[in-house]
Amino acid sequence: MRFSILFGGKAGQGVNVLSNILGNALTKKGQYVFVSRDYQSLIRGGHNFNVLTFSDKPVASNDSQIDMIIALDENTINLHRSELKKGGKIIEKEGKGNMYFAGRIFKLLCVEFSVLEEELRELKFFEENIKDAKEGYNETSEVACKVSLNKNKLKFVNGNQGISEGAVKSGVDIYYAYPMTPATNVMGELAEKQIENNNIVIELESEVAVINAAIGSAITGAKTMIGTSGGGFDLMTEALSLTGVAEVPLVIYLASRPGPSTGVATYTGQGDLDLARHSGHGEFNRLVIAPGDPKECEELTSQAFYFSQKFGIPTIILSDKHLAEGLYTMDKNSVITPSKKMTSLKRYNSYETDEFGCATEDAEKIIKNVDARMKMGKEIEKEAEKFSQFNVYGNRTSKNVVLFWGSTKGAIIDAMENLDAKFVQVLYLEPFPMRIKKEIEGKNIILVENNATGQLGKLVAEKTGIFIDDKNKILRYDGRPFLADELREELGGRLK
Amino acid sequence: MTNENINTPTIPTWCPGCYNFIILAAIKNVINEELKKGKTKNDFALVSGIGCHGKIFDYINLNGINTLHGRVLPTCMGIRVGNPNLTVLGFSGDGDCYAEGMEHLIHTARYNPDVKYFVHNNQVFALTAGQPTPTTEIGYKDKTTPLGVKLYPMNPIKLMLAAGCGFVARVFAEKEQIEWVFKEALKHKGFTFVEIIQPSVIFHQDKNYMQKFYSLQKEGHDKTNFDAAWKKADEFDYNVVKKIPTGIFYQKEKPMFEDLWPQLVELKKKKMSWRDLKR
Ligand SMILES: Cc1ncc(C[n+]2csc(CCOP(=O)(O)OP(=O)(O)O)c2C)c(N)n1
Ligand code: SF4
Ligand SMILES: [Mg+2]
Repeated sequence: MRFSILFGGKAGQGVNVLSNILGNALTKKGQYVFVSRDYQSLIRGGHNFNVLTFSDKPVASNDSQIDMIIALDENTINLHRSELKKGGKIIEKEGKGNMYFAGRIFKLLCVEFSVLEEELRELKFFEENIKDAKEGYNETSEVACKVSLNKNKLKFVNGNQGISEGAVKSGVDIYYAYPMTPATNVMGELAEKQIENNNIVIELESEVAVINAAIGSAITGAKTMIGTSGGGFDLMTEALSLTGVAEVPLVIYLASRPGPSTGVATYTGQGDLDLARHSGHGEFNRLVIAPGDPKECEELTSQAFYFSQKFGIPTIILSDKHLAEGLYTMDKNSVITPSKKMTSLKRYNSYETDEFGCATEDAEKIIKNVDARMKMGKEIEKEAEKFSQFNVYGNRTSKNVVLFWGSTKGAIIDAMENLDAKFVQVLYLEPFPMRIKKEIEGKNIILVENNATGQLGKLVAEKTGIFIDDKNKILRYDGRPFLADELREELGGRLK
Repeated sequence: MTNENINTPTIPTWCPGCYNFIILAAIKNVINEELKKGKTKNDFALVSGIGCHGKIFDYINLNGINTLHGRVLPTCMGIRVGNPNLTVLGFSGDGDCYAEGMEHLIHTARYNPDVKYFVHNNQVFALTAGQPTPTTEIGYKDKTTPLGVKLYPMNPIKLMLAAGCGFVARVFAEKEQIEWVFKEALKHKGFTFVEIIQPSVIFHQDKNYMQKFYSLQKEGHDKTNFDAAWKKADEFDYNVVKKIPTGIFYQKEKPMFEDLWPQLVELKKKKMSWRDLKR
């Protein structure tokens, strides 16, 4: 059974700490947990809320209806009362801080106080916190839901941690970045452990400096990675094109938020698929891959390193705020693709070059270089076929196909039950897996994307000639992620 | 890479009489001396930008990259981070450095990586056929500025002093001066900024510079004195040519970027790059 709790309050009241404590504790009890974060682009005040859903079966999304609201301020109640299920509870108490509420929620879910105590030991101000938590725990003897103990061995992580973990497991040497939500936490994660992992994290003056420094490092043979969001990525694209001509191995993490421009800085969207595929002038090779959960974040990051090293190409890992900062429980270890360092310092060039690495304008040499790049493109395609370029779930023989990519995976998997459809998640967006054509041909295709134009739909049309009916495009572009119950309904209405 | 010579088979496409030939010869002389003293070609990395100056990459057979317009410095920095044992040489034009890549110049002076940086200042965008740059004098005309340049030029020497650069020098595109300053730069630990006044024989000729130069060092200038350096920097404003001091305006060693990160210190100690690191 899914049970969902909304934690709301002002920025600075500790909504995140609260949902993290509970999420961690539930994970240790073998519960599957998902937490999405909704916060504004401000540091103190405003309204932030996290929604935590847990269950003894896998969860990776929230529903529109909530079982319980933990209100750290009055505003939370005003804003979210309408989302509460019939018989749902609102927990409030004026003048109390987040630790008091931690105590109350643990009691309400029947989780022993010792488990909470263990979590609090990980944080600062233990003495004060435990006092407040005790007060909350002893406030009532009410029970809202009994958390059963499961034997599942789970890890509670967000997408950015998956990316960082994947990078470390791939042996990243150098990570450069300039802060930009929602990519910033990868820099934080890696920086925290840089000494322990013996790698280095460097913040430079701009994204332009970041990618150019990264190119400098990558050509010395270091495994180099950078991370940013759409605006920062735009600034990098001239140099992206340089990695294309000079064959520089570089892993680029692109975590999207709604654009255009500064857009909605702390919300989610999938508007940058076209950008990832088409950015940079001229024609050159690249890989664009999109994980759908933290485990895939680890796996695809290792594949990004593999392809960048093997072919000397830029590889772009595409995620978004929802995946980057949403917390998931991982129940299986990731499968890491090992990669060797294949580059060493030689003569690189932003011009087309001759055999000495000198600039050339010779027509034959230009043709030779371009042809070599095109040939490599084919080799990349072939190599990519050795990997799971897309995942298929649900009824494989259904006449309905639901097509999606990236962070919508959570809501889709959770919505899937009892829907007669084949669900196809595209992991490799460039090179595009042509085998998908067979999976979708002649079917009732439904597209789910967190953008307004259906960019995967356009890509599929370009590659396969199959056009998806506008009526069958479920597109959400309000900066919010899909919710499982709503999506189930949307899908259900489109099945044949 | 074999050590015999640093020539490439590429024939220079600079205009006959271009001062870039002198810069090239002087730079190669010093590198060759370093090779004779025991360095190998693999100890160097060379980075150049886009412009007439950038072609120097094609005429010196060393590893590195002829990178994008304006991005020489972050690229050099990245190479040092990737392998802190390399001697990294950067070559830019005034357009490359003072226009397109200006932010990098200021920040690199602050980061202070061990990069030897040369700016070929011909006071024009030469390769795009002579448009004015931030150091072109008032009144200069070309097809894009028929009314003449209206803006007062910037003073890169003062900029570098203000930015905290630990080695600020200017020389004329003359063999002895370049060789001397290059050797001084090699001895200096950290970022070295050297502006080479390099007239473009096509677009911005020697405006009687020859008569106006004088040597700071011969005059007994105290390069450890910041205030004196500032005063000397003021003597040539890139607008009206009265006198042009050359030599090292200011020199003071400060902590290098590569010495502030224990990971890089370790690599340097072991004479390794990240590439050599087995995980
Ligand atoms: C991003 C970008 N903008 C513009 C150009 C065109 N461009 C090529 S060379 C050049 C001027 C170079 O001037 P400078 O750096 O002073 O070098 P010079 O030719 O004078 O040696 C320009 C603007 C380019 N290559 N890249
Ligand atoms: S245009 Fe000027 S700088 Fe360029 S090669 Fe000719 S003389 Fe030299
Ligand atoms: Mg110039």
